Amino acid sequence: MSQTYIELLRRALDEELSLDPAVHLLGEDVAAGGAFGVTKGLAQKHGARRVRNTPISEAAIAGLATGAALCGLRPVLEIMFIDFATLALDCLVNQSAKYRYMSGGQLAVPMVVRTQAGAAGGAAAQHSQSLESWFIHVPGLVVVAPSSPVEAYGLLKRSIRLGDPVLFIEHKRLYALREELPANLPLPDIGRARVARAGCDVTVITYSAMVGSALEAADIVAGQGLSAEVIDLRTLTPLDMQTVAASVMKTHRVVIAHEAVRNGGVGAEIAARLAGELFDELDAPITRVGCRFAPIPFAPELERAVLPGTADIVRAVQAACA
Amino acid sequence: MRAVIDTGDPGLEEWKRLFGQLWRIRAFEGQVQTLAAAGEVPGFAHLSTGQEAVAVGVCAHLGREDALFTSHRGHGHVLAKGSDARAMLAEIIGRSTGLCQGHGGSMHLVDAPNGVLGATGVVGGNLPLAAGAAWAAQARGKAAISVVFFGDGATGAGIFHETVNLSVLWQLPVLFVCENNGYAEFTSREEHSTVGSVRAFADPYGMAAATVDGNDLPAVFEAAREATARVRSGAGPYLLECMTHRMAGHYVGDAQHYRSREELAAVTAKCPIERMKRRLLGLAVAREELDAIGEAAIREMAQAVADARAGAPADPRMALCHVYGAPALQANPGAGE
Amino acid sequence: MTRIAVQVPKIGLVMENARVVRWLKAAGERVARGEPLVELETEKSLVEVESTDSGRLAEILLPAQQTARVGDRLAWLDSDASEPPVPAARPSGQTLAPQPQAAAPLRETSSGVSAPERRPGRIKSSPAARRLARQHRMDLATITGTGPGGRIQLRDVSQAAQAREERPSLIAGRRPLSAMRRAMARVMTLSNATVPQFVLERTVDWTAVRAVRARGLADPAPSAPRLSLNDFLLHACGRALAACPALNATFSGDPDSGDAALLHAPGTHIGLAVAVDDGVRVPVFHDLETLSLTELARRRAETVARAASGRLKAEELQGATFSISNLGAAGPDRFIALLEPPQSAILAVGRQSERVLALDGALHVRPMSTLTLTVDHRVADGRVAAQFLARLVTLLESETWPTGSEVAT
Repeated sequence: MSQTYIELLRRALDEELSLDPAVHLLGEDVAAGGAFGVTKGLAQKHGARRVRNTPISEAAIAGLATGAALCGLRPVLEIMFIDFATLALDCLVNQSAKYRYMSGGQLAVPMVVRTQAGAAGGAAAQHSQSLESWFIHVPGLVVVAPSSPVEAYGLLKRSIRLGDPVLFIEHKRLYALREELPANLPLPDIGRARVARAGCDVTVITYSAMVGSALEAADIVAGQGLSAEVIDLRTLTPLDMQTVAASVMKTHRVVIAHEAVRNGGVGAEIAARLAGELFDELDAPITRVGCRFAPIPFAPELERAVLPGTADIVRAVQAACA
Repeated sequence: MRAVIDTGDPGLEEWKRLFGQLWRIRAFEGQVQTLAAAGEVPGFAHLSTGQEAVAVGVCAHLGREDALFTSHRGHGHVLAKGSDARAMLAEIIGRSTGLCQGHGGSMHLVDAPNGVLGATGVVGGNLPLAAGAAWAAQARGKAAISVVFFGDGATGAGIFHETVNLSVLWQLPVLFVCENNGYAEFTSREEHSTVGSVRAFADPYGMAAATVDGNDLPAVFEAAREATARVRSGAGPYLLECMTHRMAGHYVGDAQHYRSREELAAVTAKCPIERMKRRLLGLAVAREELDAIGEAAIREMAQAVADARAGAPADPRMALCHVYGAPALQANPGAGE
Repeated sequence: MTRIAVQVPKIGLVMENARVVRWLKAAGERVARGEPLVELETEKSLVEVESTDSGRLAEILLPAQQTARVGDRLAWLDSDASEPPVPAARPSGQTLAPQPQAAAPLRETSSGVSAPERRPGRIKSSPAARRLARQHRMDLATITGTGPGGRIQLRDVSQAAQAREERPSLIAGRRPLSAMRRAMARVMTLSNATVPQFVLERTVDWTAVRAVRARGLADPAPSAPRLSLNDFLLHACGRALAACPALNATFSGDPDSGDAALLHAPGTHIGLAVAVDDGVRVPVFHDLETLSLTELARRRAETVARAASGRLKAEELQGATFSISNLGAAGPDRFIALLEPPQSAILAVGRQSERVLALDGALHVRPMSTLTLTVDHRVADGRVAAQFLARLVTLLESETWPTGSEVAT
């Protein structure tokens, strides 16, 4: 039976709540299911004290979760939109990320901040952003961006058990996607990328919703005799450069695709590392696909004009293989 | 001593011990000031000289299992909670023998086994952490409480109000101790708020609160006894505002041009150690005995500095340790360099 | 009137500095557009800079004998034109009305970094191409780049290296592989390198098949397709494979690891190698055991026609565990085929010819072929393969092939 991204997230939370009494969910409206229904029914099953509503106080609840994590809880905090994570940045950047380090390893912050990002049609400039690159800039944070329902399930369970603060970035465009959860699926390791499709002519490095676009693009270019390998990074910190490097040493050509703007993005980081460490392997300039440098607009025509998609990846692959 | 010869009076010997605690903090900060002036303290050092009675009066009611969060001006609180002065000083001068192996420093002292869960350099940032620690105690059915020290400057941050609201809403066992020294860094309270008393912020949220003379050790002790008992009983959070005075600048090296000579002289006259000394003299404790207590504290801290200096410098090979906990993350070349 | 700057222009490829030799106009003098304004000396030559606008030379910023770099301001000119020539700076305070503009492309072809002029003599080449050239001790200048802007890429170096190794007199020409030939090259290399294969043979007597075909030809039912040898082969192989599940499987995983497994196929799915222009295509006939000989023949004829014109569907190229390669009447007496991973076996059918057969103590002349079966030894061993081959021969030689009328049904 196939389940949606949301249902599999809920299943992961439900299972972890059952497994470990230290796991607690908190956030705005989570007891009622949250804005997207991910936590629906969990308060009824696990009790209102373990699935708790909070005021609209992102700064305080991020701090609350961090303080609780220092004292033995494993809080899973929902920040409704990554755009609102700006309000919790002081805590996430100055406290959560640094506590283990500043304390010389005496304390840890086993906390997951679930949030969702990306554009999905008309949510406009303050509910559509892809801000992941801000967080990969902060040592101490783990940044996870799952690309499919099954990946989201496995990565969320791993994140909750990890023991370090995790920013778990869901993508609202993936929420309705359905997939069947295979039996006895081994949980993915945090920090290990996945070859979503094998190929030999060009490596497309991507994550989150753009993995789907990259796979579509790979199908299209296959008809033109180009074999594209698609790498789903899964986690942006840590970056699994080993898997990326193994692919690039095979294909010698690289396209990096993400929904976030290119400027200062994850792609810039990967491109710089590849240029520095695998310079002699490159047979073409590294090409990045990303959002145009504008806030996400409201009108669908405008939104389409700035967002990257399958066709952009196809063109980038063709350019890289010219 | 009438004010405190009451149900909670701990007895004369305990008062003398607490008097010694005041002196230990004063001597400790004196050593930090000397070290900073000599260039031995990397970065900033914020001294709590003059505010010792708040630290001693409140921490007298805390056990090791209680969580303590403090601010950038936190040496006194950590010392009063019972942490080792040598390990604290070693941390402040960046030794590998320091509490945090040199990863934290003066503004980020952590002594987890002693319940000192951290100090923050971001004003107000510690408030929700303390609420979170209280939530964890509540959720895990523990009797421990959580105490957070902050200055009146922190009430200018929205996070103060968010945290108070949440703490009352969830009835969290957290004690907010505001050290109202009248200054937010270099700016006087009149210049940064129209609300004169920090205590007043408790009212709209329905939080229990009290204001006390923070330079009067017995007064702080008694107020904190009542506050901690109430929080421990499960009656929800409590705000204790302690009116006090910073005898030093915002940080070591601050020339305090914004304070008049007269103001500084008045502050010195309100010194909590002198006040406690007068009260103990009034209880017929010999001057020589009190002087000896102070001298012992000064000797102890001088020795602590010597011990701290003897520690090995921070190890550069440890610079990438403790960024992440999971071994897989530490080993992954993508996580570090 | 607009005040515009007269700047040191870029003259020639390599110019960086210039010296003012003399001003040809004095401050306050009128100049016409195109009129010489100032004389500059560059590394290469003396040049006159002409005024780009008509107007009045307002102020000389750089007097004679001073040196300047490209782009430096030489003078202010009060132009007669009311609008500044593009692209001059906008006067402050002017509203910037947004203009629709071609947005930057989503992928990185123009990132706003304008490439400086290339140094002459520099050869455009990719890092990987340079490394390969070093390994082959080849001079990049002797290699023609076929990448964007003439960039030398890996493929250019490897082709050049190959060309150098091949004696030019023996090479009539070189042709890059088509996508199909490349795919074949890959698959066959994989087969030879990774699949342990063994071979066994049997001869088959076509007498029975010939009889059935002759009946069909003599008495064709309406719309009955003409039966080819391949139809009999496919039909018989399908039945033999269905009776031999041990061979009807593919090998999966790494033999060194615990995940190695045999994947048994549901139904029988057999590929038939079809020669096409420039290669071979192998359409797969699915669920053969469910097809009658006639249905099979009809489908075979139609599929082979589409294979020849390259119009096979994706699912028609997948899912086989077994293939047949029949090189026909003009083919060799016998040959060995390489199996196509992940299939487990391939049957190579030799030329049909009259051979002397000793049978029941007498000599007979019979139409016969040699059947050569190549098997993935990881899937099956000799005994299983021999049983399969024996069953196949028995089926093909069976007297009980359907009659002509039955063939048509």
